[in-house]
Amino acid sequence: MSIPFLQFLVGVLFLTVVFNHLMKKNFLSIISFAVQSFIVTLVFLHSFLETGNIYLFLMVVFTFIVKVILSPLFFVRLIKKYKLSFSVNTYLSMPITLIVIAILTFMAHSKKFLPLTSIVPDHQVILSLALSALFVSLFLIVNRKEALSQIISILSLENSIVVFAIFAGLEQSPSLQIGIIFNIFVWIMIATVFVSMIYKHFGSSDVTSMNNLKD
Amino acid sequence: MSLFLIISLLIISVIGILITKKRSIIESLSLLVSGITCIVSFLIAYKVSSVGTVTFFTFFSLDALGAIVLMIIGSIGFATTIYSIAYLREETKKHIIGFTRVKQYFILLQLFLFAMYLAITAGSPIFAWIAIEATTLSTAFLISFYDKPSAIEGAWKYLIINSVGLLLGFFGTLLYFTSVSSLGEGGFVSWQTLRENASHLDPLIAKIAFVFVLIGYGTKVGFAPMHTWKPDAYSKAPAPLGALLSGALLPVAFFILLKFKTITDLSIGYSFSQTLFFIFGLFSIAVASLIMFNARNYKRLLAYSSIENAGIIALGFGFGGLGVFGAVLHLLYHSAVKVIMFFSAGNILLKYHSAKIQNIKNAFHIIPTTSILFVLGFLIVTGTPPFGIFFSKIYILGTGIKTHPVVALIAILFMTMVFVGFLRHITQMFLSRSTEEKESGEGNIWLVIPPLFFLFLIVLLSFYIPPFLTKLIHTVTLYYTYD
Repeated sequence: MSIPFLQFLVGVLFLTVVFNHLMKKNFLSIISFAVQSFIVTLVFLHSFLETGNIYLFLMVVFTFIVKVILSPLFFVRLIKKYKLSFSVNTYLSMPITLIVIAILTFMAHSKKFLPLTSIVPDHQVILSLALSALFVSLFLIVNRKEALSQIISILSLENSIVVFAIFAGLEQSPSLQIGIIFNIFVWIMIATVFVSMIYKHFGSSDVTSMNNLKD
Repeated sequence: MSLFLIISLLIISVIGILITKKRSIIESLSLLVSGITCIVSFLIAYKVSSVGTVTFFTFFSLDALGAIVLMIIGSIGFATTIYSIAYLREETKKHIIGFTRVKQYFILLQLFLFAMYLAITAGSPIFAWIAIEATTLSTAFLISFYDKPSAIEGAWKYLIINSVGLLLGFFGTLLYFTSVSSLGEGGFVSWQTLRENASHLDPLIAKIAFVFVLIGYGTKVGFAPMHTWKPDAYSKAPAPLGALLSGALLPVAFFILLKFKTITDLSIGYSFSQTLFFIFGLFSIAVASLIMFNARNYKRLLAYSSIENAGIIALGFGFGGLGVFGAVLHLLYHSAVKVIMFFSAGNILLKYHSAKIQNIKNAFHIIPTTSILFVLGFLIVTGTPPFGIFFSKIYILGTGIKTHPVVALIAILFMTMVFVGFLRHITQMFLSRSTEEKESGEGNIWLVIPPLFFLFLIVLLSFYIPPFLTKLIHTVTLYYTYD
């Protein structure tokens, strides 16, 4: 795959995170996450095609199964079961959210983060985009008030880190990568169970309704 | 081989508990396995003290600080199992929980111990990260154990805050790999490889990486301002789990953080990590002292005490020299005293059915042994002489006054506030009188023996440290002391 195509892929990944900020419907957020995870799968496929390492092909398969198929399926089931079709509000209004996204993207492309984005000079644009996606995902976690949105935000953050690591040449041994993906899978299952529990106890998946614990 | 025994025993016990339908088997199996793993932990630590860093296969290795933390996990794990059996029996008697919950509790407890053992012995930082993430996953359902709205809230905050923190820690960990040109032996980057290549690390990347790692693992340690999950999780989790979270998980996360500190120091010198340890250490002590003053729940009070002590340990490692010696001692004493305090808190909760300080009256008359244990725990944890924490604080602050007097004086000011705030609550809980009649008595003897044993242990370790432990502490001190 050529560098411009890879740049395009990471650009789409970044846009899926921005899209999640704009989305009000949970279902669209899940589709956006599935697209994002599919891009991560393609990036792994690119690594496999470059190195020919069979374990990387296993990563392609595992990532595809866990992140592109199983996780979205879990989330869709959750939406159907508890009728969570609309996500709740964000803490910041839409214009301010867009301004913060712009600032974060600018920050990731600034000279301050040049040591990170120039780890592999040929991939500087890609690494800047991946770092932007990482920052915007972090902002998504703190800006969303709904439990399912928070789960998707955390998974977006993980996807951004994985893409950054691959293009910065920081990939770990395949066995550990499989360990990480297994960990993420267990995390998704546990987080999904928690969303159900939150809904049962609070009648909503809005995390601001949870205010029992205070000093 | 010994570590293999610990890991396989814990896996066998999880499978055993999973398939059995008898409570007595669950309890016996948990007790047996935690007892054996405790003994084996001490044997491994003894070996490390005599031969230095021990490597198991290529995936695992254990140094002097790891050996100390291993003993902490082993002993607190065993004590928690004994206490949990008695505690859960009392809760079953009161129809708070049933058999399924007990089974779930012991499976998750064994998994939690398993993850901590893996984290401490992992030869690779990524492997350690996976294990630390596994500690979050295994304990999330233990925090929501009572299935109440407040417990779910505490567990959710714990899950989300720790997951985000650990992902940032993961990113920081990956940045350290920029110094390594190829994967090491076994196809992965080990701690040793990172140390050997530290000089190749770009200074700016080293700084950014350490900040991410400090935020990530610092969340698990409970440094302010990433501490917010701690009071909620500690107050909602079953009391025995609090001892493990505060006494064992905190040192495990600290241990991993220190490994990264060493690599950073080798790359860019110690002043950067030292400054950050001072900032987070002081901020943690300050936040804890201010909130403790107005705490209304005694389990949350213990959580803030853990945050304060994490700050003190950070200052010790920041000061270096004798401060490191004090910090290692502090780590040991703090873990032991938190067992006493969380178990006593559990006994109070069983008797009063409330974790609110204002609802605890006349405790000295109603549960005298537990009350004495809790009050002694308070005296120990706040650094009252002649207990060990007094000496560890003297070592830390003494070094601080010589090298960084302003930092040390600010710490002393807030630590005094902690004492005053804590004392205020202790007076209210144990010296206030109530007209309400409550049946006096401690209940099950096994609710009192584990904290009593740890009290004996602290008193002993305050005046006598066994030679093998002294050797381990000295090795750690030399390793983490700046030139």
